[in-house]
Amino acid sequence: MKHIRNFSIIAHIDHGKSTLADRFIQFCGGLEMREMSAQVLDSMDIEKERGITIKAQTAALQYKARDGQVYNLNLIDTPGHVDFSYEVSRSLSACEGALLVVDASQGVEAQTVANCYTAIELGVEVVPVLNKIDLPAAEPERVSQEIEDIIGIEAIDAVRASAKSGIGIEDILETVISKIPPPEGNPDGPLKALIIDSWFDNYVGVVMLVRVIDGSLKPKDKIKFMATGAEHLCEQVGVFTPKSVQRPSLSAGEVGFVIAGIKELKSAKVGDTITLVNNPASEALPGFKEVQSQVFAGLYPVESHDYDSLRDALEKLQLNDASLKFEPEVSQALGFGFRCGFLGLLHLEIVQERLEREFDMDLITTAPTVVYEVLMKDGTVIEVENPSKLPDLSKIDEIREPIITSTILVPQDYVGAVMTLCNQKRGVQRNMQYMGRQVMLTYELPMNEVVMDFFDKLKSTSRGYASLDYEFKEFQAADLVKLDILVNSEKVDALSLIVHRATSQYRGRELASKMRELIPRQMFDIAVQAAIGSHIIARETIKALRKNVLAKCYGGDITRKKKLLEKQKAGKKRMKQVGNVEIPQEAFLAILQVGDK
Amino acid sequence: MTVTKISLSGLSGLRELPPLSLYIHFPWCVRKCPYCDFNSHEVKNGFDEDAYVAALLADLESALPAVWGRPVHTIFMGGGTPSLFSARAMDTLLAGIRARVRLYPDAEITMEANPGTFESDKFKGFREAGINRLSIGIQSFDPAHLKALGRIHHGDDARRAVDIALTHFDNVNLDLMYALPGQTLEQALTDMGTALSFGVTHVSAYHLTIEPNTLFARYLPPKLPDDELSADMQEALEARLTEAGFGHYETSAFARPGRECRHNLNYWQFGDYLGIGAGAHAKISAHDGIVREMRYKQPAAYLKAVAEGRPTQSRERIARADRPFEFMMNLLRLTDGFELRLFAERTGLPLTHIQRELAEAEAQGLIERDLTTLKPTLKGQRFLNDLLTLFLKEGE
Repeated sequence: MKHIRNFSIIAHIDHGKSTLADRFIQFCGGLEMREMSAQVLDSMDIEKERGITIKAQTAALQYKARDGQVYNLNLIDTPGHVDFSYEVSRSLSACEGALLVVDASQGVEAQTVANCYTAIELGVEVVPVLNKIDLPAAEPERVSQEIEDIIGIEAIDAVRASAKSGIGIEDILETVISKIPPPEGNPDGPLKALIIDSWFDNYVGVVMLVRVIDGSLKPKDKIKFMATGAEHLCEQVGVFTPKSVQRPSLSAGEVGFVIAGIKELKSAKVGDTITLVNNPASEALPGFKEVQSQVFAGLYPVESHDYDSLRDALEKLQLNDASLKFEPEVSQALGFGFRCGFLGLLHLEIVQERLEREFDMDLITTAPTVVYEVLMKDGTVIEVENPSKLPDLSKIDEIREPIITSTILVPQDYVGAVMTLCNQKRGVQRNMQYMGRQVMLTYELPMNEVVMDFFDKLKSTSRGYASLDYEFKEFQAADLVKLDILVNSEKVDALSLIVHRATSQYRGRELASKMRELIPRQMFDIAVQAAIGSHIIARETIKALRKNVLAKCYGGDITRKKKLLEKQKAGKKRMKQVGNVEIPQEAFLAILQVGDK
Repeated sequence: MTVTKISLSGLSGLRELPPLSLYIHFPWCVRKCPYCDFNSHEVKNGFDEDAYVAALLADLESALPAVWGRPVHTIFMGGGTPSLFSARAMDTLLAGIRARVRLYPDAEITMEANPGTFESDKFKGFREAGINRLSIGIQSFDPAHLKALGRIHHGDDARRAVDIALTHFDNVNLDLMYALPGQTLEQALTDMGTALSFGVTHVSAYHLTIEPNTLFARYLPPKLPDDELSADMQEALEARLTEAGFGHYETSAFARPGRECRHNLNYWQFGDYLGIGAGAHAKISAHDGIVREMRYKQPAAYLKAVAEGRPTQSRERIARADRPFEFMMNLLRLTDGFELRLFAERTGLPLTHIQRELAEAEAQGLIERDLTTLKPTLKGQRFLNDLLTLFLKEGE
């Protein structure tokens, strides 16, 4: 066990994490040169090769150190985006150490800070590394100072490296051995293995990534899941190098995979503890918090007969993404679909894109929303995750919205603009710290403002330099109203929104005018109205088209004209018929295009 | 028109064959216009008209087995610019056609002509060769608009061409375009007034459309009238033509009573046509199905292919499922629509095949029908594309 090191890499997107991981693998001979393609851990080649899906990507590496001894290094890669911070904490809990990789020219970013704090809270040793040291704009001294100022760890002798040029790779590995402690645990005790991640593989069923804390595990062992009590026969154990390699056993301190012929992902819950049936551990490991959906949106098939295929597709996605939640929902405007819960906007976008690309679904997505707590007059509290389901106002005592604490790191030049943006979004400033060239702002923000377009706005006002991290704080009562959109006097439930009263008039007007731009002219006039309760606050008219006809149609060659009509028809098919009005997909997300006052 | 009655009991489901027309393509122009997406090529180094006429006749001869014994009702010589050919060449061509197919004595024989190619003697010769209808690509009489359209002729050329045409021909169509770059409603009406002042028998008024793969598609001309203005123009021009005694019988075609273009009517009634010449399209019904053909497009490739005895570049059967749409795409262009029996006669399918689509079109107020006829409503005419897409089969 003295020769095992379990570590992960914490880095902001683009700071070179994946390239660095590639270099480690290459350096330790995990893959032959001909097998190396850029960013091995991110690519799907391994999946194709082995038929195994790797999500929390890991690599077990053999490193012959300068002291002449061979060490087993387990690299556990972590995702970099705020939506997936829970995965980060899961990966970190399997490690004793983490490399903090910071771009030597760009400095520290908010997401990195948050992940670092998570690591420190979990008692993980954080080892700083300055990457991209060979860039002309690199300022290692300044960035070292920044790491000390912002994160509060010693960084003055941080390893200076360039993953791209292969500078300092061995130094980093040496530091891993000297700074990161070996795992502790009792190899002879009863088995305790923590499930860090699990995913479904078409060939072998559920694959579990585990960290063995105590004891050891080998094929033919009868294993037991401590939370569910379910028992299975262990079929295979092994490690990823990153190729999957079977091993005779996994023992205390090691990270690897377990396959036990399990057919359903929910039987192998992430955070559960595996033990042996005939020598069980007395108590389970602490495990993880259940992941909560933060953002909700309705997903509807454009063609109503695709409802079943959409459900199948969502079920398949859920096999590998337990954080995706969905339940059936009916909209008057859109028909049968699903209300889905996501970790954040990026997660929503990824799911949407996978449904469209991998499952060839034609989808309508409604505007993302958060969950509201509604205190009813009768004292009950209900949760509303779909604005159109908000009960009648006369029965509501108060509506509470989720508030997040957000940490924004931004270069000094853009502080003013970012503060203005936060104020527009009803933010309340809690802290502001100057840290070298950067400023760390702490704001409490209503989450519903953030899910709209906050991230995009933040990036554009700061020319891409500001970075954001956030966590849920609490529900707070607010003066919120439901904004409805009516098309030819028919309320379109899928377009309803919950907004703050102060911005409701403006939002309503802008939304109606946006809808006028997005809904194509049709054979008749279309009235678009925005309403709060029975009060109409805006009206726009989409004038009827005068004609839609092909002037020339030579009887001879009809093929081109036919193609044109087929194109028109295909365009119509992508729209949703609401009453007799055809509404294009993008109109259901029109609110995202409405600016602020 | 009489219909050849042949007992058929094959895959086509057709009980009788529709009338047959002959289309002849002439692929050369003095210059390619920036809006034109037809198969036309600039003359540049001249062309050998005798060789082309010989090729056309050889092409026709190779096509005869597919239309054996069927008389030809109309001929249309389109382009390109057929009037670039000499009267002698046309005479040779028409004599050759008469020798190979049964051509009705009263057959309508139209030739397209462009101003700038007009000489009185030449047109006298065309008439003597047997051509009895001219279709002139005037487009506009306004010098500024002609220039914007990249036409080679001027306003005066246009007037002179119409004069010469009417000296030798009593059946003359003028093609006019509206919604031209920078055009006002008044200017569009002035063009129409000029056109009508000559006493022609037929006018085709086309909305200038930007077709893909044209110069205009790449460099959009400035100041194109918007939807509102062009719709106003269309309505005003229609009113003006009606007032002058022209019937609006097809989307863009207007004629004095009895002067409707019989050749085009055959297209619009889903009739059959042979197509010879570079890039010409054909549609032929037979016992085993309805087939579309296209000849090689490039003049050189076409001449070579004819010499090798295989002028057809592509040939495909119209699937049964596609026939209703193709029928409707043509017939619904006609203001008076069609007699219901024609659907089964021309497609080989029962009308019940499109019951659902017809009900939908009726519900949307796009067609009206009684026991024997079906026609587009005024709304159906204006929104013909919306109407036609109802008949496109699913999954496309």
